[in-house]
Amino acid sequence: MWPVSNKEVIINPRDFQYACELGELTPGKPSTFEVDDRFVVLVQLDGQVYCIEDLCTHDGGTLGDGELEGHCLVCPRHGAKFDVRNGHVTCMPATENTPSHEVKLDGSRIMIRLND
Amino acid sequence: MNTTATTNSAASSFDDSAFARFLEHRIDPTWLTTLRRNAWAYFQSMEWPSPRDENWMRSEIRGFRINKFAPNIEENVAIPETSPVRLLDGVNAAGSLRSINGIVTHEELDPSYAARGVVVGSLSQCAREHTHLVQAHLNSLVSPKSDRFSALQSAMWTGGYFVYVPRNVIVDRPIHIHAAMGDGAVDMSHTLIVLEEGAEATILYECASPSESASGFHCGAVELVQKGNSHLRFVSLQDWGQNVWQFAHQRASVGRDATVQWTVAAMGARFAQIDQRVALVEPGARSQVNGVMFTRDRQHLVFNTLQHHVASHCTSDFLYKSVLQDRSRTVWRGMIKVNEGAQKTDGYQRNDNLMLSDTARSDSIPGLEINADDVRCTHGSTSGRVDEELIFYAQSRGFTRAEAVRMIVTGFFQQIFDRITIESVREALGAAIARQVRQYD
Repeated sequence: MWPVSNKEVIINPRDFQYACELGELTPGKPSTFEVDDRFVVLVQLDGQVYCIEDLCTHDGGTLGDGELEGHCLVCPRHGAKFDVRNGHVTCMPATENTPSHEVKLDGSRIMIRLND
Repeated sequence: MNTTATTNSAASSFDDSAFARFLEHRIDPTWLTTLRRNAWAYFQSMEWPSPRDENWMRSEIRGFRINKFAPNIEENVAIPETSPVRLLDGVNAAGSLRSINGIVTHEELDPSYAARGVVVGSLSQCAREHTHLVQAHLNSLVSPKSDRFSALQSAMWTGGYFVYVPRNVIVDRPIHIHAAMGDGAVDMSHTLIVLEEGAEATILYECASPSESASGFHCGAVELVQKGNSHLRFVSLQDWGQNVWQFAHQRASVGRDATVQWTVAAMGARFAQIDQRVALVEPGARSQVNGVMFTRDRQHLVFNTLQHHVASHCTSDFLYKSVLQDRSRTVWRGMIKVNEGAQKTDGYQRNDNLMLSDTARSDSIPGLEINADDVRCTHGSTSGRVDEELIFYAQSRGFTRAEAVRMIVTGFFQQIFDRITIESVREALGAAIARQVRQYD
């Protein structure tokens, strides 16, 4: 049979969607997850979980393999930095913020609301 | 010939057992089976492309899961044809080929051309019936070693299209090819066009899904083989559904004093990566490539093009134009490569991008690699927003914003329309562009 598509299930991007279990995150280490056909980076830092788009606005590359410097995730390609708390760019060569997404905990489940 | 389109509905993925069953169901000549087995060995030994590969570092394919799709192994399930045909309006075609999910369901050729030795048919069938013609050219330009997608395509292509025009035969009416793919289906067709010396032909190729939201997996290849003094016009209109993954290798080899005019329009697909190369292999060869991309939502289209000047006194002219809406993204990497000794080369490449939203993104990367010292190679790239003053002016003359944007977009593409000499193609492109323009407030 052809694979069953889940596209009949209409998901409002404004709804919170499941991303992962809290136990899947290592504090201080970024992890990448796919949510609703988009890739996001989750970071557990100082007891909080933050979520930004897995997208460097400099050249469109991914941030998930980058390292954390304080609250900033450093793009592994050219060194642009983004604040994981709000997606704000803090270092060239990127000049535009990357989207950040709202996070909430539902027990041990991490839920995120995608920001368009 | 009319047949019923058929595909396999057994759950399976692209693994060894599926490949073995695929071969069992084929009626291929031995040389082709060997070709497939070799390609499968490459597929098994390769990794999927990664962001560390130069050609893929701007390609987001993490969301592609091949195991969501099943290969076409046998041919026994009827699928209704519901995809639109756009390039045939007002065209009196000399021949036509139609396929569904990479399986040819209809082939037709005016007997007057057949009598002159022209062949238009399913590549699978022609591999058996015109084996020397197909064997001499199949995979002569697209190597299964290019990447894992080309290896997979070379191993498991189905159906396919073969057009052969003998020496000094002019096919003065277009040949139409229509590839349809069902929602969630797979199309692994292979297009092989061979023009012998002095031959001429026009091919109109279009591919479509039954609905805008359709998904699917197209892993294809195009090979255009042109001998001396042949003349080919090849038009390709890609209108897949917005959830289709497309990976294709497209190649042309142009002989002495031969010309190719290749027009590419890419409108659909969630993600498409096209590796397009034109090799000018003998003196006097000329190529003109016209590309149109019009994207919306989160579409991501990648074109890697190569104008390869192998011989001297050749001309290449590539013009790609993109219009982007919403959060869509286009990547164009163009290279002009001039071999040592390819003197008197005249190469030109240009990529223009028009952004209709703040969140669209285009990456334009023209390049030159020149190993000769008496050449003329130029390139250019522009990217920018629609001038709000133009829209304001049009609105002050009574047009709505959508009408104004549509006019500006049409004007932006006009340079390419002016190069297209086939009226049905101009009209189909114009209509496709009009469909894509959002109703902006």
